[in-house]
Amino acid sequence: MHTLDRNLLHRFGLLLVIFIVGLALSLLTDTFLSVANFTNVARQISINGILAVGVTFVLLTAGVDLSLGSVVALSGVACATFAHPGEHSVFVPIAVGLFTGAACGLVNGVLVTRGGVAPFIVTLGMMTIARGLALIFSGGRPVANMSNELTALAGDLFGIPIPVLCFAGVAAAAWFFLRNFRLGRHIYAVGGNENAARAAGVPVEKVKLFAYGLCGLLTGLAGVVLAARITTGQPNAGQAYELDAIAAVVIGGTSLAGGVGTITGTLLGVLLIGVINNGLDLMGVSSYYQAVIKGVIIVGAVWLDRRQARS
Amino acid sequence: MRLTPRKAVTALLAFCSLALSVALVSGCKKAAPRKEGEILIGFSSRDLSAEYTAKLSEAVVDYAKTKSGVKLVMVDAQSDVQKQFGQVENFIAQKVDAIILNPCELEASTPAVDRIKTAGIPLVLVNQVTKSAGDSYIGSNDFDAGRIAMEAVAQKLNGQGGVLMLHGIMGTSAQLQREAGAREIFAKYPGLKLVDHQTASWDRAKAMALTENWIQAHQGKFSAIFAHNDEMAMGALLALERAGLKKDVYVIGIDAIAQALTAVKEGRLDATVFQDAVGQGKGSVDAAILLAKKQPCPKETMIPFQLITRENLSQFLK
Repeated sequence: MHTLDRNLLHRFGLLLVIFIVGLALSLLTDTFLSVANFTNVARQISINGILAVGVTFVLLTAGVDLSLGSVVALSGVACATFAHPGEHSVFVPIAVGLFTGAACGLVNGVLVTRGGVAPFIVTLGMMTIARGLALIFSGGRPVANMSNELTALAGDLFGIPIPVLCFAGVAAAAWFFLRNFRLGRHIYAVGGNENAARAAGVPVEKVKLFAYGLCGLLTGLAGVVLAARITTGQPNAGQAYELDAIAAVVIGGTSLAGGVGTITGTLLGVLLIGVINNGLDLMGVSSYYQAVIKGVIIVGAVWLDRRQARS
Repeated sequence: MRLTPRKAVTALLAFCSLALSVALVSGCKKAAPRKEGEILIGFSSRDLSAEYTAKLSEAVVDYAKTKSGVKLVMVDAQSDVQKQFGQVENFIAQKVDAIILNPCELEASTPAVDRIKTAGIPLVLVNQVTKSAGDSYIGSNDFDAGRIAMEAVAQKLNGQGGVLMLHGIMGTSAQLQREAGAREIFAKYPGLKLVDHQTASWDRAKAMALTENWIQAHQGKFSAIFAHNDEMAMGALLALERAGLKKDVYVIGIDAIAQALTAVKEGRLDATVFQDAVGQGKGSVDAAILLAKKQPCPKETMIPFQLITRENLSQFLK
């Protein structure tokens, strides 16, 4: 099958880049290649990973979501507000965080499908609205005093960090869903050719609404995980998180024009960005150079990958 | 109901005009006519979502309320230099009697300061200097804060050992001076080694990730972490605790935010350096009033820093 070949080639190219970067880091530092550091990388990529999986769905429908970072902050603040010790069961703040994210995603979806406003504009609006709401609900201050039950979400289960388990679970479910469910295939159809999909009887609006809603829900999850990790709901958290997430998805071979892309690709993209961030810190590279190196590797990876896919 | 694009646009416009009229009505309520002889002070805060700045801003607003014949309007620049410039221009257009500016940045906020001086409005700078001076500066010498914190580290380690330093946003006066103060102590104790230093942009999540990476890279080679603010110290603390290494590492921050004080009380954070937010806030209001009345006012008022450890904590907890 043609698409399978392309995916294989694609994954191979990206794996090669990750392998080269990993090899370089193993040679340049004596700390990169260790179980402890891999756990470390896994923990650090889990938030960006959850966001990237969510936004993969939106990008597959040829949409975009720029509100991720702000919605992370809003969900984190909402979660922390209900997480004071002894007030509610631990499920309440989690549910509130997830619901907040999902609600933002659904509003995005409704405006895109019913309102006919371009996704770029809708989610740009949501980006500032959610940030504003986060500042309003928190009074502009970090929401502290979270219960131990909730912050335990950033701890370990059987020696594996819970954020990593969340990320792995989300990724596995998304992978399975996109491959085996009719709605999953519809998402590709809508992004590939919206008119053809509509003519073939695909409920285009519902499919898009689902994609934005799911992306919002996962953003809410990322907000809850972040709040647990830093033990506060920070209204100014998550600045520019959408850029890292979208970069990871695009590195992973998902087309910004929609219809093409895989969860495995997204995972590799997330891994590459995470390994770069971790490795440059281990090497003690100044943050000024880090920004430049990161940009070069991102563009280089996509360039190498597209070249391979063409040949 | 199926929403056509035209309907959607109409609805959007209707919504916007509604929002605008609500904003106008509430705006009018705020902009009540100025009473004769009343002093109007404009105050632009750097970022209300940062705990220290929020505390300072609250002190400014509360203290101004206790002064009769004084009206203070506060706006939040959200760490955005451009936004703050716009707010300053609005204050000038409103012909306020004095401006209290808590600048976003050392260099980038200088044009806003120059604009105020050109307009001839008395200016009080608080907690952050710019390249151009205002009529009065209320602050604390961040150089001292860096020195106090690193001196505490040096005492704890008996002048011997590896130290990691978490910088604030590079180029802010607090970051530059806190680093310079710390470097002076490094020069004094040749046994102290700066193992690694990097910016975490005053941010807890970034400081936590950076510390996790440092634990991988330098484990066993450092016995203290100095963070330029408490948010980052809390991030470093969380990373160390999670790795089970806190007992081997002395962690100190600056600012004495509420969470840091609680952490010191619980014996988790070793120390913080107290910057007197309330003192700075009150001082800036007093200076603004003096300047608005064209009375003499000191060019510079320095509110001192103090080291807070578990031993003297009680006097700082309200």
